[in-house]
Amino acid sequence: MNVNATFFAELIAFCIFIFITYRYLWPSFSSILDARRKEIAEGLEAASQSQRKLEDANEESRKLVEDAKSEASNLINLAGTRGDQIVDEAKNQAVEEQKKIKASAEADIEQNITKAKEGLKQEVAALVISGAEKILNKEVDEKSNKDIVDALIKEL
Amino acid sequence: MNRTNRPNYNALPKKLMAENNHTESSNYASELTSTSDYISHHLTNLTFGWCEKSQSWGYANHQQSLFEETPCKVSEMGFWTLHIDTIVMSSLLGTVFFGFFGLVLMGAKSGVPGKVQNFAEFVFEFISNAVKTNFHGTSKILGPLAFTSCVWILSWNLMDLLPVELTNFVGNAGVGIDYFKLLPTADVNGPLALAIVVMFFVTYYTIATHGLGGFLKEFINPIELVGYFSKHVALALRLYGNLFAGEMIFILIGIMFGQFFMSFGQTLWFIPGLMMNLVWALFHILIIALQAYIFMMLTIAYINLACAKH
Repeated sequence: MNVNATFFAELIAFCIFIFITYRYLWPSFSSILDARRKEIAEGLEAASQSQRKLEDANEESRKLVEDAKSEASNLINLAGTRGDQIVDEAKNQAVEEQKKIKASAEADIEQNITKAKEGLKQEVAALVISGAEKILNKEVDEKSNKDIVDALIKEL
Repeated sequence: MNRTNRPNYNALPKKLMAENNHTESSNYASELTSTSDYISHHLTNLTFGWCEKSQSWGYANHQQSLFEETPCKVSEMGFWTLHIDTIVMSSLLGTVFFGFFGLVLMGAKSGVPGKVQNFAEFVFEFISNAVKTNFHGTSKILGPLAFTSCVWILSWNLMDLLPVELTNFVGNAGVGIDYFKLLPTADVNGPLALAIVVMFFVTYYTIATHGLGGFLKEFINPIELVGYFSKHVALALRLYGNLFAGEMIFILIGIMFGQFFMSFGQTLWFIPGLMMNLVWALFHILIIALQAYIFMMLTIAYINLACAKH
């Protein structure tokens, strides 16, 4: 164990190596590891964020499907009721039409009947007058007797 | 006895081997001498320094044959000497390890990391978590300080897992360097330098937190001063002692089986030697990592204490 000037040489060498480590190795190691730590943190953050986004999207798509389903069932119901309505309306219309047609036919018939009745009355009146002429053998003044005849016709 | 059956003697410098040639007759005392030579050879650094005798700078005598050497032995050189092997190995290891982290960072990206980058980030996170959980103040330098000490010490300690004979083997194979300790931690100068830097920062943070008066007030009782220094010296010696002892046990295992080689000439002794080395190396991996970790944690703890407001 002999301490000698080698000690100073080692001292200088040690200081040089400390300086090299202090100046170059340590900072670049630190910066590399810090950068990696940051990258990893960012990656994890991004992963959890996209996980959250995925969950949100799933939720949204589930909602959309539900909405679409309920809308479709609503539409089906609506279509059913609307169809029923249309059928009902058509029925009602048909009934209405039928009634109208019936009514006008009846009115026609009524008219024809009254017309026929009128005709018949005229004919009867004419017949009565001609019968009365023949009976009286003389010409009845049609004008003077008109009132009588008309009254007669009215009586018919 | 055939000399080729004595591979551990590769470790000894050629000159020593020549001196010990006459010990081939089984002379226990002279074998002991060569054993202690073997150990002291393994514990001697490649030393460069000022030699009083020749009034010149140079390597210690008989350590290498590449550069200028002086007539002085290692023990004859004074304070102003350098352990070239410690300095070369520690700088080289630091350059390789910190260079590795630098290269990784150059091609690093904040996205999904590759295997190498992942490893580097694991090391960084491990140390920065240790700092975060044990340090409650704010300091920009503590992280780099803990990182540097942990990584650098670990890189030093890993050298203990290389075979103790490696450099001697290579040196004797014609490189021309007979003394070269691979493990900078087993030279007390290295750990001591680290601990003194830690002491500097502890002092700095104590003064920054409590003011100079607060710092000096701690030493009203002079025994505190002893505690203050011994705390940091212990920090160095804990690391040094553990790794030195580990190295020593590898050397002893080497000697033990080297002696068996000599006594019986049985190459089969290679197998238990290998087993024991393996067992100790496996256990030693724990110590290597643990000591680097302990040094780092104590650094953090001391600076945390220094920053704590009472």
